[in-house]
Amino acid sequence: MFGNVARSRLLPMSLPFRYFGAAVLFHVAAWALLLPVAGEFADFQAGLGPVFAALHLLTLGVLAMAAIGATLQLLPIATRQPVRSIGAAKLLWWLLASGTLVFACGAELYLPRLMAAGAVAVTIAFAIYAFLLARNLLGARGLPVVVAHGWAAFACLIALAATGIALVAYYEHGIALDHSAFRAAHLVLAAYGFMGLLAFGLSTFLLPMLAVAPSPASRISYVTLGLGVAAITLGSLGWRLPGALLGLCAALLHIYSMERSLRARLRSPLGPAFLLIRVSWACLALSLVAAILMELGHAPARAGLLFCLLLIPGWLLTFLLGVLQRIVPFLASVHASKASGGTPLISALTPVRLLAAHRILHLGALAALLAAVFFEQEILARAGAAAGLAGALAYAAFFAFVVLKVRNHGIHPPHQPAPA
Amino acid sequence: MEYIRHINRRLHEEHQATLALWGRLEASLSAGKPDSALMRSAAASLAEEIDRHFAFEEAELFPRLAAAGEGDVAGLLAEEHVVIRAAAKDFIALAKTDPADPRLKPLGLELAERLVAHVQKEEMSMLPALEDLLDEQADEELTTGYVSS
Repeated sequence: MFGNVARSRLLPMSLPFRYFGAAVLFHVAAWALLLPVAGEFADFQAGLGPVFAALHLLTLGVLAMAAIGATLQLLPIATRQPVRSIGAAKLLWWLLASGTLVFACGAELYLPRLMAAGAVAVTIAFAIYAFLLARNLLGARGLPVVVAHGWAAFACLIALAATGIALVAYYEHGIALDHSAFRAAHLVLAAYGFMGLLAFGLSTFLLPMLAVAPSPASRISYVTLGLGVAAITLGSLGWRLPGALLGLCAALLHIYSMERSLRARLRSPLGPAFLLIRVSWACLALSLVAAILMELGHAPARAGLLFCLLLIPGWLLTFLLGVLQRIVPFLASVHASKASGGTPLISALTPVRLLAAHRILHLGALAALLAAVFFEQEILARAGAAAGLAGALAYAAFFAFVVLKVRNHGIHPPHQPAPA
Repeated sequence: MEYIRHINRRLHEEHQATLALWGRLEASLSAGKPDSALMRSAAASLAEEIDRHFAFEEAELFPRLAAAGEGDVAGLLAEEHVVIRAAAKDFIALAKTDPADPRLKPLGLELAERLVAHVQKEEMSMLPALEDLLDEQADEELTTGYVSS
């Protein structure tokens, strides 16, 4: 279907970095879109508009974009299979980036027709990614735990694309469907399913590597996966309470096994990125506690919004930002080494103060938004959105720092795909 | 990751030992409490690693990787050997003459970071690739040759 198989499992630098770069820009755009309407944030229920647009800039533009970029580079290492087509991976990026932009513009301007055009591009992008993912997993050798998580994420990706198309059809053509049920299923499949399972699977291989620690026990990882898949299935079919309970068990088991692995690490400093990763784990568990309380009727007012905050920026975004700040300098050092004859130290590609500023701003933004919704305080929402935007700009500066450092190191990243 | 090939298990064990030793050294240097005995032990281990482990990988493993289409990875790892060797030469010389020399701290920290990153890359890319590349006979020959070297 697509030609141009990657020669090596190490992709050209420009490929994963275009995904990370786009994610960094969409991150800034999401907070910038939220800032002017932050005063209304605490009252947000549902429907189109700037908050909805910002949410999808975050989910499609940041989370899906970075996750696809990271898996294109990391899965071939885990599965010992090269990316099947460099051309398809590039086309995927163009479709996802442009589709996300058009979709968000349509949502912001209340233009369902424009949203539909964006959704079509995003759906085609996801279809290409599903093809690349499936081809990679079909020939996978090694790390069966990661592969099993990959297949589960693949199934969720197909289901989330189907529910997404149905929702766009509802907005554009007014087709009859249970909108709230489809919306809930779409959220569960996207956040806990596709993104969550990819995060769980790659964590079992990536986090021990970053921490210089042993991998978690496979048996526990398989049990976690089984519980997670059952929870996602139940949750997306409308059985939310049993789904959330099983999901909480899966989340706690995952956190336990990862912490056990990290405790056995051979290098004592974990690095500040793991603060973000641990906060993200706490948000994951709290999101499921919030879901359980909502189903039991014990949740506070605006619990739905608190749940979304814990789930999207709390769990997924915080986790992603923590992991990216480790793998971006790591991958950059690999590519800087290739062409220059000298290997830059990863620490030289890690601007510690900038990342510390980002951590404070990001965690401050998260805390302020949660407090704003809980206490219904406009001023806290505005402060949170401002801190979020400042944090996103600091993160963009970090990314620019790494790219400029690599360029100044005298390298010319190989942009040409390697011959098959 | 669990390895089937004996040579991979052997190299993995040596990586773990290197990470443990240099992790301790890094912690002592970062805490401002350099340990002369640890410094000498790290220098001796590093000299052994360069003489034996690096030389074996360069002579036997990197060419196999390159021939199997993993030339990028082999080239990257070989380049890192060059950089580590240069830093190690200074570190070993200083640690032998004066383990309390203050110049050892930046050198030790640099080497700790480089060795950890290098081991991470070998564990992520080289050893899994060798699992696929080597058959039982090649694995036995390599293991025997390495153990007796």
